[in-house]
Amino acid sequence: MIRTIGLGKTVSTSEGQLTILKGIDLEIKKSESVAIVGASGSGKTTLLSLLAGLDTPTCGEIFLGEYKLTDLNEEQRAKVRGQMVGFVFQTFQLLNSLTAIENVMLPAELKGDSRAKEKAGEVLRRVGLAHRFNHYPSHLSGGEQQRVAIARAFASTAEVLFADEPTGNLDTVTGGHIIDLIFELNEEFGTTLVLVTHDVRLADRCTRSITIDSGEIV
Amino acid sequence: MHLSLALKLLWRDWRAGELTLLLVSLIIAVSTVTTITLFVDRLQQALLKESATFLAADRVISSSDPIADEILIKAGELGLQHAQTLSFLSMVFSNDRAQFASVKAVSDNYPLRGKLIVSDAPFVRGTPVESAPAPGEVWLESRLLPSLGVNKGDILDIGVASFPITNVLVKEPDRGSGFNSVGPRVLMNLEDVPATEVVQPGSRLTYRYLFAGDVATLDEFEAWVKPKLGVEARMFGVKEGAAGIGNALDRAERFLLLGGLLGVILAGVAIALAAQRYSLRHYNHVAILKTLGATPGGIDTIFIVIFLVLGSLSTIVGSCVGFVVQIAAVKILEPLIPIELPNPGLRPLGVGIATGFICLLSFALPPLLKLRAIVPLRVIRRDLGEAGIADRMTYSFAIMGTIGLMWWYSQDLRLTMMIFSGGVVAMLVMSVLAFGLIRSGRIFGMQAGSAWRLALAGMQRRGQENIMQILVFGLAIMLLLILYLVRTSLVEDWRAQIPENAPNHFAINISPEDVAPIIQLFHENGVASEPLYPMIRGRITSVNGQLSTERDKQREAAAGANGPRLSAGRNLTWAADLPDDNRIVAGKWWPQNYQGPVQVSLEEDLARTNRLKVGDELVFTIQGRKLNVIVASVRTVAWDNMRPNFYIIFSPGALEDFPSTYMTSFFLEKHEKLFLNTLLNQYPTMTVIEVDALIEQIRRIISQVTLAIELVLGLILISGGLVLLASIQASMDERLKQHAILRTLGASQKLVLGSLAIEFGTLGFFAGVLATFGAEITVYGLETEIFQLDYEINPELWVLGPVVGMLLIGVVGTLAALKVVRTPPITVLREL
Repeated sequence: MIRTIGLGKTVSTSEGQLTILKGIDLEIKKSESVAIVGASGSGKTTLLSLLAGLDTPTCGEIFLGEYKLTDLNEEQRAKVRGQMVGFVFQTFQLLNSLTAIENVMLPAELKGDSRAKEKAGEVLRRVGLAHRFNHYPSHLSGGEQQRVAIARAFASTAEVLFADEPTGNLDTVTGGHIIDLIFELNEEFGTTLVLVTHDVRLADRCTRSITIDSGEIV
Repeated sequence: MHLSLALKLLWRDWRAGELTLLLVSLIIAVSTVTTITLFVDRLQQALLKESATFLAADRVISSSDPIADEILIKAGELGLQHAQTLSFLSMVFSNDRAQFASVKAVSDNYPLRGKLIVSDAPFVRGTPVESAPAPGEVWLESRLLPSLGVNKGDILDIGVASFPITNVLVKEPDRGSGFNSVGPRVLMNLEDVPATEVVQPGSRLTYRYLFAGDVATLDEFEAWVKPKLGVEARMFGVKEGAAGIGNALDRAERFLLLGGLLGVILAGVAIALAAQRYSLRHYNHVAILKTLGATPGGIDTIFIVIFLVLGSLSTIVGSCVGFVVQIAAVKILEPLIPIELPNPGLRPLGVGIATGFICLLSFALPPLLKLRAIVPLRVIRRDLGEAGIADRMTYSFAIMGTIGLMWWYSQDLRLTMMIFSGGVVAMLVMSVLAFGLIRSGRIFGMQAGSAWRLALAGMQRRGQENIMQILVFGLAIMLLLILYLVRTSLVEDWRAQIPENAPNHFAINISPEDVAPIIQLFHENGVASEPLYPMIRGRITSVNGQLSTERDKQREAAAGANGPRLSAGRNLTWAADLPDDNRIVAGKWWPQNYQGPVQVSLEEDLARTNRLKVGDELVFTIQGRKLNVIVASVRTVAWDNMRPNFYIIFSPGALEDFPSTYMTSFFLEKHEKLFLNTLLNQYPTMTVIEVDALIEQIRRIISQVTLAIELVLGLILISGGLVLLASIQASMDERLKQHAILRTLGASQKLVLGSLAIEFGTLGFFAGVLATFGAEITVYGLETEIFQLDYEINPELWVLGPVVGMLLIGVVGTLAALKVVRTPPITVLREL
């Protein structure tokens, strides 16, 4: 489902060139769940961004499904994201001016799906927010906001779900519920799951872990 | 797909209150522009109409021969009002005396603009009348009655016809047009002219055809007529026809345009700030949309739709609000506006709408279009996004929009480029200065109390944003100062132009032997007079060997018949010293006791229009004799100063061989008017022209023009205030966030508000310093180049600018930030 060959990322800083990732070769199969772990600053979030087509590498190749992301421009990558990728972030990334259901509808609306509201409603109910449809993010708790974000990710029937520290902003109990929810839905929808985490409980639930240290897989 | 999504997002943004500030700013900006455009247009039209009384019409064709009938037929077809006058010099007779008079025969509907004022006895205030003299009657000017020894009701002979004197003519609207109307006036009906048999082939006649109507029709008529006029005829409006007020009107018009222009730029800045804030608040929004699969093209579509809907809505609502506001303003100001304003036309409303939309396109669209470049990675790394977004497009749109609007408004590329380049240079200098000021503020703040330290540290941390903000504050204050300074100079200059004791009588046809006794008589009666100038009629017949009539034909074929004609007969004089209000612009004035070959000094307009320059050899024909002269200098003449002014001045002694008469001007109070009878009885051959009524009319118009520019200044001040508010609002999110965090950490209300007041006050102070600096430089350019005024530095401004800036921005900014201490910090943080 996902494959990289010789992937590297370098950025220019005031102190010269800084290598964030180098020589990353990996393969993630369909329906697999993979945790990317490592110390802060090791490059794991950058790797996730590259795999999801949010960023471009300095060298190497990335294949996502049938697409070679490294050959696509931003316009084309956006289309690929819209078709087959879902996201869950540490900071939830909901639109403050939209209600819970409108946030969940958004990916389907971007695809022009006329049943967006219906589908969004189903998933919101599934994550236990039937009573929060018309609430704005600022009126929801952290756990609830993350559930909306998860509902948004699954409502788009994405083939791959990328999650960046999905429990990073939540307390242990709420975090535990969120982990359960992600894996339940992952199983239900048969999604490929790639997540970045410090949370050992979360990493343990995945089929395998990839450890990054100083930009390299160890 | 994107269209419906865009509309949904627009609706959701609106519901969440994200659009309120942008929409309100847009509506305010468009309505300000519409109000100013409409108001200025109505004032301009009203002033022109009022000033048209100087010509008794809106347009005049003056000709030495009757004009073709087709011109009058065309005027009728276009629905223009039309009247006619015929002027000639003739001897008129009473029972026992004769007097040379300037006879004007008029059609029944004369005058088309302004009123004739008549009385029953000479030298008294009269009352306006609705009609011209009926056939078979004549009206005589006051001073003609004592000199002919007649009264109202007596008989006057003109040629072979006799007419009863039925009125004393106190004032005719178009009396003040130069010295063509020498001699006391006799006004009669045009139908009676044939009966007098005075007009014979070869008589020197001036036909004037008067037209009045709406501006567009007059313009159409003028464009149609001008190519059909021969060299003997000239068409003009009030600006060309009445030098006394043409200049004041021109300057007022430029000021109103400048005001409108600065108002538009201020509105543009307000729009840009509001759009920038909206765009900033949507960086994350766009990053999330992109993460969810929205393409850059899709983002463009979404925000262009949002822009179009907002643009149309704000343009329509803004224009309607502007329309209503200016009607309300006119109603409120009605007691103050002494002239009747014409109804607002559709054109200025269209101009308002178009201006609004151009403003939106130039200032609001670019920040929205920038959003396409937001990288989706921003969802993970918040610091990304602003970097990498090219601002080139934003700046190009704003620059093109500003130049385009300025040019469109002023129709003057020079003025546009002057203000624009002045603005750019000022902005560059101001950026460097602002950077220095912020740095120095930080060093000063290190030794100060905690509120100061907090404020100045905050200022430096957001250095770039604060430099921008100082520039915006500075720009708004600078534009307001510019307008205020130019207005003050203009008003002062107008007041000085016709001082209280400006000469209000001209005396001409004074014979050389009468010069000394008349000076003596003036002296004895305490009458203040100007020097006596010799005056001889003559004309330029050739320039560097080419006939002047040929040159006229060439010029008129190439550039039309505007400006003074080379071959026209003119009053010539000579003088040892340069007249007071004249200024040499090329060549040199002759030295004291000059004895060399004959030289002349030419008026600038005459020289420029006819391509005459210093060193040209001219041949004059004076009283049938030829005189060769060299052009020594070109000078400007203050035509509206009510003193003897000449297009052509010769070097001393040059015209000594030609018999000449003398002229002067002098001042008489109303109650001293009887002195005129003494003067005229002792020197019956001289002619006195009374211009006190004209001066009064000029003063009245100037006071109206002054009021008009003050009203516009008021409107622009309001618009400037709105920009300041928008600018403060646009920068508020970041400040609120920082201070909400401080509140969370336990900062007292005093500390938070104190630091905000210091921060805004300091920004306002710096902005005031820069605005004063920029305003002085721009005003120097405007006054010397555009308004032809003398520039003086304004020391009070250097105190006023910074202090007003500090207080205004400090108070408004702190008030706008009160929310941060009144609401719980978590609410503030959640909303941002």
